[in-house]
Amino acid sequence: MNLFALKEQLREAGILISFTGSFSHSIIEELGTAVKKYLENAEIQKTAMMDVFSVYIEAAQNVRNYSERRCQAGRTDNDASIVVIARRDTHYRIYAGNVVEEDDKADLGARLDRLAALDKAGLKTAYKEQLRRERAPDEGAGLGLIEMARRASAPLEYGFTPLPDGRAYFSLCIEI
Amino acid sequence: MSLERLHQSATPSTPAVDFDPASGVLSLTGESYPENAFDYFRPLLTWVARFVDEGNTPIVAEIALSYLNTSSIKSVMDLLDLLESAHRRGRQATVRWSYADDNERALEMIEEFKEEVTLPFFIVPVSG
Repeated sequence: MNLFALKEQLREAGILISFTGSFSHSIIEELGTAVKKYLENAEIQKTAMMDVFSVYIEAAQNVRNYSERRCQAGRTDNDASIVVIARRDTHYRIYAGNVVEEDDKADLGARLDRLAALDKAGLKTAYKEQLRRERAPDEGAGLGLIEMARRASAPLEYGFTPLPDGRAYFSLCIEI
Repeated sequence: MSLERLHQSATPSTPAVDFDPASGVLSLTGESYPENAFDYFRPLLTWVARFVDEGNTPIVAEIALSYLNTSSIKSVMDLLDLLESAHRRGRQATVRWSYADDNERALEMIEEFKEEVTLPFFIVPVSG
Protein backbone atom coordinates (compact mmCIF):
# COMPACT_ATOMS: atom_id res chain seq x y z
CA MET A 1 0.00 0.00 0.00
CA ASN A 2 1.33 3.40 -0.96
CA LEU A 3 0.79 5.47 2.15
CA PHE A 4 1.84 8.69 0.47
CA ALA A 5 -0.89 8.23 -2.16
CA LEU A 6 -3.41 7.47 0.59
CA LYS A 7 -2.38 10.53 2.55
CA GLU A 8 -2.70 12.69 -0.60
CA GLN A 9 -6.16 11.27 -1.26
CA LEU A 10 -7.25 12.13 2.28
CA ARG A 11 -5.85 15.63 1.90
CA GLU A 12 -7.58 16.20 -1.45
CA ALA A 13 -10.87 15.05 0.02
CA GLY A 14 -10.40 17.53 2.88
CA ILE A 15 -10.53 14.75 5.46
CA LEU A 16 -9.43 15.91 8.89
CA ILE A 17 -10.30 12.85 10.89
CA SER A 18 -11.40 9.41 9.84
CA PHE A 19 -11.94 6.49 12.14
CA THR A 20 -13.09 3.08 11.11
CA GLY A 21 -13.43 0.10 13.41
CA SER A 22 -15.20 -0.69 16.59
CA PHE A 23 -16.17 2.46 18.50
CA SER A 24 -15.53 2.45 22.21
CA HIS A 25 -16.43 5.34 24.47
CA SER A 26 -12.75 6.11 25.08
CA ILE A 27 -12.09 6.34 21.32
CA ILE A 28 -15.07 8.70 20.90
CA GLU A 29 -13.76 10.81 23.79
CA GLU A 30 -10.16 10.86 22.49
CA LEU A 31 -11.18 11.78 18.96
CA GLY A 32 -13.57 14.38 20.33
CA THR A 33 -10.73 16.01 22.27
CA ALA A 34 -8.55 15.94 19.13
CA VAL A 35 -11.34 17.47 17.00
CA LYS A 36 -11.84 20.24 19.51
CA LYS A 37 -8.11 21.05 19.68
CA TYR A 38 -7.88 21.07 15.91
CA LEU A 39 -10.88 23.39 15.52
CA GLU A 40 -9.67 25.74 18.24
CA ASN A 41 -6.53 26.31 16.18
CA ALA A 42 -8.38 26.53 12.86
CA GLU A 43 -9.70 30.06 13.49
CA ILE A 44 -13.30 29.17 12.84
CA GLN A 45 -16.27 30.67 14.61
CA LYS A 46 -17.08 29.28 18.00
CA THR A 47 -20.61 28.35 16.85
CA ALA A 48 -19.26 26.31 13.92
CA MET A 49 -16.81 24.61 16.25
CA MET A 50 -19.57 23.70 18.69
CA ASP A 51 -21.75 22.45 15.83
CA VAL A 52 -19.04 20.20 14.39
CA PHE A 53 -18.21 18.81 17.84
CA SER A 54 -21.83 18.23 18.76
CA VAL A 55 -22.71 16.51 15.48
CA TYR A 56 -19.56 14.37 15.70
CA ILE A 57 -20.51 13.22 19.23
CA GLU A 58 -24.13 12.45 18.29
CA ALA A 59 -23.12 10.61 15.11
CA ALA A 60 -20.39 8.56 16.80
CA GLN A 61 -22.55 7.72 19.82
CA ASN A 62 -25.47 6.74 17.57
CA VAL A 63 -23.21 4.34 15.67
CA ARG A 64 -21.79 2.98 18.91
CA ASN A 65 -25.17 2.55 20.63
CA TYR A 66 -26.68 0.84 17.62
CA SER A 67 -23.72 -1.58 17.34
CA GLU A 68 -23.98 -2.23 21.04
CA ARG A 69 -27.64 -3.21 20.77
CA ARG A 70 -26.88 -5.43 17.78
CA CYS A 71 -24.02 -7.03 19.71
CA GLN A 72 -26.38 -7.86 22.54
CA ALA A 73 -28.65 -9.45 19.94
CA GLY A 74 -25.75 -11.71 18.90
CA ARG A 75 -24.33 -9.73 15.96
CA THR A 76 -20.60 -9.20 16.03
CA ASP A 77 -19.57 -7.38 12.84
CA ASN A 78 -19.58 -3.94 14.43
CA ASP A 79 -16.08 -3.13 13.17
CA ALA A 80 -17.71 -2.00 9.91
CA SER A 81 -18.48 1.47 11.30
CA ILE A 82 -16.89 4.68 10.10
CA VAL A 83 -16.98 8.33 11.12
CA VAL A 84 -15.31 11.05 9.05
CA ILE A 85 -14.93 14.80 9.55
CA ALA A 86 -14.02 16.70 6.40
CA ARG A 87 -13.73 20.29 5.34
CA ARG A 88 -14.99 21.51 1.99
CA ASP A 89 -14.48 25.21 1.24
CA THR A 90 -16.07 27.02 4.16
CA HIS A 91 -18.19 24.08 5.30
CA TYR A 92 -17.52 21.13 7.51
CA ARG A 93 -19.08 17.75 6.87
CA ILE A 94 -19.50 14.89 9.27
CA TYR A 95 -20.08 11.46 7.76
CA ALA A 96 -21.16 8.36 9.64
CA GLY A 97 -21.60 4.86 8.25
CA ASN A 98 -22.65 1.55 9.76
CA VAL A 99 -24.47 -1.68 9.00
CA VAL A 100 -28.21 -1.62 9.70
CA GLU A 101 -30.60 -4.54 9.97
CA GLU A 102 -33.20 -4.95 7.25
CA ASP A 103 -35.98 -4.35 9.79
CA ASP A 104 -34.57 -0.98 10.88
CA LYS A 105 -34.01 0.44 7.41
CA ALA A 106 -37.50 1.66 6.56
CA ASP A 107 -38.03 3.27 9.95
CA LEU A 108 -34.70 5.10 9.84
CA GLY A 109 -35.30 6.34 6.29
CA ALA A 110 -38.79 7.55 7.21
CA ARG A 111 -37.50 9.44 10.26
CA LEU A 112 -34.83 11.18 8.17
CA ASP A 113 -37.37 12.09 5.47
CA ARG A 114 -39.69 13.58 8.09
CA LEU A 115 -36.82 15.69 9.48
CA ALA A 116 -35.75 16.80 5.99
CA ALA A 117 -39.22 18.28 5.43
CA LEU A 118 -38.98 20.54 8.52
CA ASP A 119 -37.63 24.08 8.69
CA LYS A 120 -35.71 25.40 11.73
CA ALA A 121 -38.91 26.21 13.66
CA GLY A 122 -40.38 22.79 12.85
CA LEU A 123 -37.17 21.12 14.03
CA LYS A 124 -37.32 23.03 17.30
CA THR A 125 -40.91 21.84 17.84
CA ALA A 126 -39.88 18.24 17.05
CA TYR A 127 -36.98 18.59 19.48
CA LYS A 128 -39.18 19.89 22.29
CA GLU A 129 -41.79 17.17 21.72
CA GLN A 130 -39.14 14.46 21.85
CA LEU A 131 -37.54 16.06 24.93
CA ARG A 132 -40.89 15.68 26.71
CA ARG A 133 -41.64 12.16 25.47
CA GLU A 134 -41.36 9.33 28.00
CA ARG A 135 -38.18 7.38 27.29
CA ALA A 136 -38.57 3.67 26.61
CA PRO A 137 -36.28 1.51 28.77
CA ASP A 138 -32.98 0.59 27.06
CA GLU A 139 -33.44 3.28 24.46
CA GLY A 140 -31.69 6.56 23.90
CA ALA A 141 -33.26 9.98 24.16
CA GLY A 142 -34.30 9.81 20.48
CA LEU A 143 -32.94 13.33 20.06
CA GLY A 144 -29.71 12.58 18.15
CA LEU A 145 -30.98 12.89 14.59
CA ILE A 146 -33.07 15.98 15.42
CA GLU A 147 -30.02 17.59 17.03
CA MET A 148 -27.92 16.86 13.92
CA ALA A 149 -30.63 18.31 11.67
CA ARG A 150 -30.83 21.46 13.81
CA ARG A 151 -27.07 22.03 13.59
CA ALA A 152 -26.87 21.32 9.87
CA SER A 153 -26.90 24.06 7.21
CA ALA A 154 -28.67 21.74 4.71
CA PRO A 155 -31.02 18.75 5.02
CA LEU A 156 -29.26 15.58 6.14
CA GLU A 157 -28.21 13.38 3.22
CA TYR A 158 -28.39 9.64 3.58
CA GLY A 159 -28.28 6.44 1.57
CA PHE A 160 -28.41 2.67 1.96
CA THR A 161 -26.05 0.33 0.12
CA PRO A 162 -27.57 -3.17 0.00
CA LEU A 163 -25.38 -5.94 1.43
CA PRO A 164 -25.48 -9.53 0.11
CA ASP A 165 -27.12 -10.87 3.30
CA GLY A 166 -30.13 -8.56 3.03
CA ARG A 167 -28.89 -5.94 5.45
CA ALA A 168 -27.70 -2.52 4.31
CA TYR A 169 -24.82 -0.14 4.84
CA PHE A 170 -26.23 3.16 6.06
CA SER A 171 -24.39 6.37 5.15
CA LEU A 172 -25.25 9.72 6.67
CA CYS A 173 -23.78 13.12 5.78
CA ILE A 174 -24.34 16.25 7.87
CA GLU A 175 -23.10 19.54 6.49
CA ILE A 176 -22.40 22.37 8.94
CA MET B 1 -30.47 9.11 57.55
CA SER B 2 -29.53 12.49 56.20
CA LEU B 3 -27.99 13.03 52.82
CA GLU B 4 -24.24 13.18 52.42
CA ARG B 5 -22.47 15.67 50.25
CA LEU B 6 -22.09 14.37 46.68
CA HIS B 7 -18.76 15.20 45.15
CA GLN B 8 -17.26 14.03 41.86
CA SER B 9 -14.29 15.32 39.87
CA ALA B 10 -14.71 16.21 36.20
CA THR B 11 -13.56 13.95 33.35
CA PRO B 12 -13.46 14.97 29.65
CA SER B 13 -16.99 13.63 29.22
CA THR B 14 -18.53 14.17 32.66
CA PRO B 15 -18.89 17.35 34.73
CA ALA B 16 -17.56 18.19 38.16
CA VAL B 17 -20.36 17.62 40.65
CA ASP B 18 -20.73 19.15 44.09
CA PHE B 19 -24.11 18.81 45.76
CA ASP B 20 -23.97 20.21 49.28
CA PRO B 21 -26.99 19.49 51.47
CA ALA B 22 -25.85 22.00 54.15
CA SER B 23 -25.79 25.03 51.83
CA GLY B 24 -28.36 23.76 49.32
CA VAL B 25 -25.97 24.57 46.47
CA LEU B 26 -25.99 22.00 43.68
CA SER B 27 -23.07 22.67 41.39
CA LEU B 28 -22.42 21.11 37.98
CA THR B 29 -19.47 22.33 35.91
CA GLY B 30 -17.97 21.18 32.63
CA GLU B 31 -19.21 19.09 29.72
CA SER B 32 -21.37 16.01 29.64
CA TYR B 33 -21.35 13.29 26.98
CA PRO B 34 -20.73 10.06 28.90
CA GLU B 35 -21.08 6.59 27.46
CA ASN B 36 -24.47 6.17 29.08
CA ALA B 37 -25.88 9.47 30.29
CA PHE B 38 -28.92 7.86 31.91
CA ASP B 39 -26.75 5.59 34.07
CA TYR B 40 -24.47 8.50 34.83
CA PHE B 41 -27.24 10.88 35.93
CA ARG B 42 -29.39 8.32 37.81
CA PRO B 43 -27.55 8.66 41.18
CA LEU B 44 -27.51 12.45 40.81
CA LEU B 45 -31.26 12.52 40.21
CA THR B 46 -31.87 10.17 43.13
CA TRP B 47 -29.84 12.47 45.36
CA VAL B 48 -31.78 15.56 44.24
CA ALA B 49 -35.14 13.79 44.62
CA ARG B 50 -34.26 12.94 48.23
CA PHE B 51 -32.92 16.41 48.94
CA VAL B 52 -36.13 17.94 47.62
CA ASP B 53 -38.16 15.71 49.95
CA GLU B 54 -36.08 16.38 53.06
CA GLY B 55 -36.01 19.65 54.96
CA ASN B 56 -36.55 23.15 53.72
CA THR B 57 -33.11 24.46 52.76
CA PRO B 58 -33.41 26.80 49.76
CA ILE B 59 -31.95 25.14 46.67
CA VAL B 60 -29.58 26.94 44.31
CA ALA B 61 -28.47 25.07 41.21
CA GLU B 62 -25.17 26.64 40.14
CA ILE B 63 -24.72 25.25 36.66
CA ALA B 64 -21.83 25.89 34.29
CA LEU B 65 -22.37 23.16 31.72
CA SER B 66 -21.17 24.36 28.32
CA TYR B 67 -21.91 21.29 26.23
CA LEU B 68 -24.37 18.43 26.69
CA ASN B 69 -24.99 15.55 24.33
CA THR B 70 -28.66 14.82 23.71
CA SER B 71 -29.04 12.08 26.31
CA SER B 72 -27.45 14.38 28.90
CA ILE B 73 -29.92 17.08 27.83
CA LYS B 74 -32.76 14.68 28.58
CA SER B 75 -31.29 13.93 32.02
CA VAL B 76 -30.68 17.59 32.89
CA MET B 77 -34.32 18.22 31.92
CA ASP B 78 -35.31 15.57 34.48
CA LEU B 79 -33.18 17.36 37.07
CA LEU B 80 -34.79 20.73 36.31
CA ASP B 81 -38.23 19.08 36.51
CA LEU B 82 -37.43 17.92 40.05
CA LEU B 83 -36.49 21.48 41.02
CA GLU B 84 -39.56 22.85 39.24
CA SER B 85 -41.93 20.59 41.14
CA ALA B 86 -40.21 21.53 44.43
CA HIS B 87 -40.67 25.20 43.50
CA ARG B 88 -44.37 24.62 42.77
CA ARG B 89 -44.79 23.01 46.19
CA GLY B 90 -43.39 26.17 47.78
CA ARG B 91 -39.72 25.26 48.22
CA GLN B 92 -37.30 28.01 47.34
CA ALA B 93 -35.44 26.82 44.24
CA THR B 94 -33.30 28.85 41.86
CA VAL B 95 -31.18 28.08 38.82
CA ARG B 96 -28.12 30.17 37.97
CA TRP B 97 -26.57 28.95 34.73
CA SER B 98 -23.39 30.63 33.58
CA TYR B 99 -21.75 30.42 30.16
CA ALA B 100 -18.81 31.97 28.30
CA ASP B 101 -20.27 34.97 26.49
CA ASP B 102 -18.71 33.98 23.15
CA ASN B 103 -20.50 30.61 23.23
CA GLU B 104 -23.76 31.33 21.43
CA ARG B 105 -24.71 27.64 21.22
CA ALA B 106 -24.47 27.24 24.98
CA LEU B 107 -26.74 30.28 25.41
CA GLU B 108 -29.34 28.81 23.01
CA MET B 109 -29.30 25.51 24.90
CA ILE B 110 -29.74 27.27 28.28
CA GLU B 111 -32.60 29.41 26.91
CA GLU B 112 -34.39 26.30 25.68
CA PHE B 113 -34.15 24.79 29.17
CA LYS B 114 -35.45 28.01 30.68
CA GLU B 115 -38.50 27.87 28.38
CA GLU B 116 -39.47 24.56 30.01
CA VAL B 117 -39.72 25.79 33.61
CA THR B 118 -41.17 28.65 35.66
CA LEU B 119 -38.82 28.72 38.67
CA PRO B 120 -36.39 31.67 39.01
CA PHE B 121 -33.79 30.99 36.31
CA PHE B 122 -30.86 33.35 35.78
CA ILE B 123 -28.60 33.14 32.76
CA VAL B 124 -25.21 34.59 33.60
CA PRO B 125 -22.73 35.52 30.85
CA VAL B 126 -19.09 35.30 31.87
CA SER B 127 -16.58 37.14 29.70
CA GLY B 128 -14.39 34.60 27.97
